[in-house]
Amino acid sequence: MNDMTRRYLSFEGVTKSFNDLPVVAPTFDLEIGRGEFVVFLGPSGCGKTTLMRMVGGLETPTGGTIRLDGVPLGKPDKWRGMVFQSYSSFPWLTVEGNIAFGMLYRSELGKAEKLERTQHYMQLVGLSDFAKAYPSRISGGMRQRVAIARTLAAGSEVLLMDEPFGALDAQRREQLQVEMRRIQNADAKTIVFVTHDVEEAVFLADRVIVFSPRPARVTADIDIGAKLGPERTLALRDSAEFFKIKTDLLHLVRASMNAEV
Amino acid sequence: MSDLNTRRSDVASPVSPRGEPLLARLFAFRAPLRQRSRVAISIGSCFFVLAAWQAAASSGLMGPIFLPSPIVVFSTLWRMTLAGQILGNAAISLWRILAAFALSAVMAIPIGMLMASYKPVNAALEPIIDFVRYLPTPALVPLSIIWFGVGEETKIFLLWLGTFFQLVLLVVDDMNRVPQEYVETATTLGASQRAILTDIAWPAMLPSLVDNLRITLGWCWTYLIIAEIVAADSGLGFVIWTARRYMQTDQVMAGVMAIGLIGLASDQALRFLHRKLFSYLH
Repeated sequence: MNDMTRRYLSFEGVTKSFNDLPVVAPTFDLEIGRGEFVVFLGPSGCGKTTLMRMVGGLETPTGGTIRLDGVPLGKPDKWRGMVFQSYSSFPWLTVEGNIAFGMLYRSELGKAEKLERTQHYMQLVGLSDFAKAYPSRISGGMRQRVAIARTLAAGSEVLLMDEPFGALDAQRREQLQVEMRRIQNADAKTIVFVTHDVEEAVFLADRVIVFSPRPARVTADIDIGAKLGPERTLALRDSAEFFKIKTDLLHLVRASMNAEV
Repeated sequence: MSDLNTRRSDVASPVSPRGEPLLARLFAFRAPLRQRSRVAISIGSCFFVLAAWQAAASSGLMGPIFLPSPIVVFSTLWRMTLAGQILGNAAISLWRILAAFALSAVMAIPIGMLMASYKPVNAALEPIIDFVRYLPTPALVPLSIIWFGVGEETKIFLLWLGTFFQLVLLVVDDMNRVPQEYVETATTLGASQRAILTDIAWPAMLPSLVDNLRITLGWCWTYLIIAEIVAADSGLGFVIWTARRYMQTDQVMAGVMAIGLIGLASDQALRFLHRKLFSYLH
């Protein structure tokens, strides 16, 4: 199903600077296949989030082009959805209302279809029993699921996730990582997931891109999917193979912290 | 070592163990207070003030013109209410406040939202607003009379003047506090600039906006007296000012009490409304 060979999302000679200080160096090239779960791994402030925000259209590259399916990207649109670490669900809407909000500006969808999609994605993330609950009454993990369901319901083909599980406790985080992988296997999207957690990166990714400290440069590009396959369960975490990949990656990340640009 | 441990656990838990003296338990830093105790202390302090006032008045050191006792003031308030001096005037005052307040809110909310949304609007209006905000409203009374005469317009203008410029800045602040994440989430879901104002900013800022409206409404009562003292033949401010002229201190204080009670009641009503409207926050 995943077409990894095709250039689906591509950074072509992208440059970006804030106040003449480069965020990426010197130019940035990267190709991502359709349906790939790509994790951007790097230290805080390295520029990985900025790269992701440029995909979302929330930042403009200083130079170069980012293409989605061959088309240069501009302003934000429904094809690229963001999930943030905090303030991800709207407190004044119920779980159901939050998910339906994803389709609020899609006038081409009929009322019945919107309702059906809302139910479908609410079920996919396991929140059907909480349809009428407000975000203040559910856990942080559930609120993140609401945001994921909303983005999927909107019909986004690319999910941009900015440390979405960063504010959760270790147990919920683990649970949600399993969920995230299950959702991805059920409803394949192209996902760019930003984190600084090595274990999270290995568990979730088809492919991990390791970044140097700012200005961001790719120091490693690792195909995890080839080693671990698409099915990720909690048991996988205890396997020797998982441990080895994680340890190797950890060493790579340490080495890239010291890498001179 | 064990001594150190005991002390540490004391610091960690604000709720002191039973058997400690009552005062130490109540005044442990940020210690929680039971609802029943809270109400008892609040009512107790009110009665203490009234009792002190009563004692001062009946001590004979101050005459009834200087300080009538609370019993006299409340019975005067009751007598004035029965004589029809309070309710009608309170209604007129209330009408003035609501009219001016509505005008302030209807102007301040959209202007504040635009200022927070678009930097050029902010750049154009902020210096003007900051300047007028510091003009003392009472000082503008003569000007107001020249412009609007002594009718209702002057009173509403003065109340508006006292609240609008403050409220605008509160609205700007409410809107600036809407998390950028909400805005960006909606943007990536296809919301237009206008949709972000109506579907995101408005519902997100509404709870704090309603809270600020409640606080601003309180200020209205302050300016009301200024407006009604200067030029009026009705309203609670007029009642107070007339009583003062005849040195009827009990009536002056009864009028002040009436305003205090109306203010307290409306504030509690708005708090209640806030809890009902925004129950999803709690």
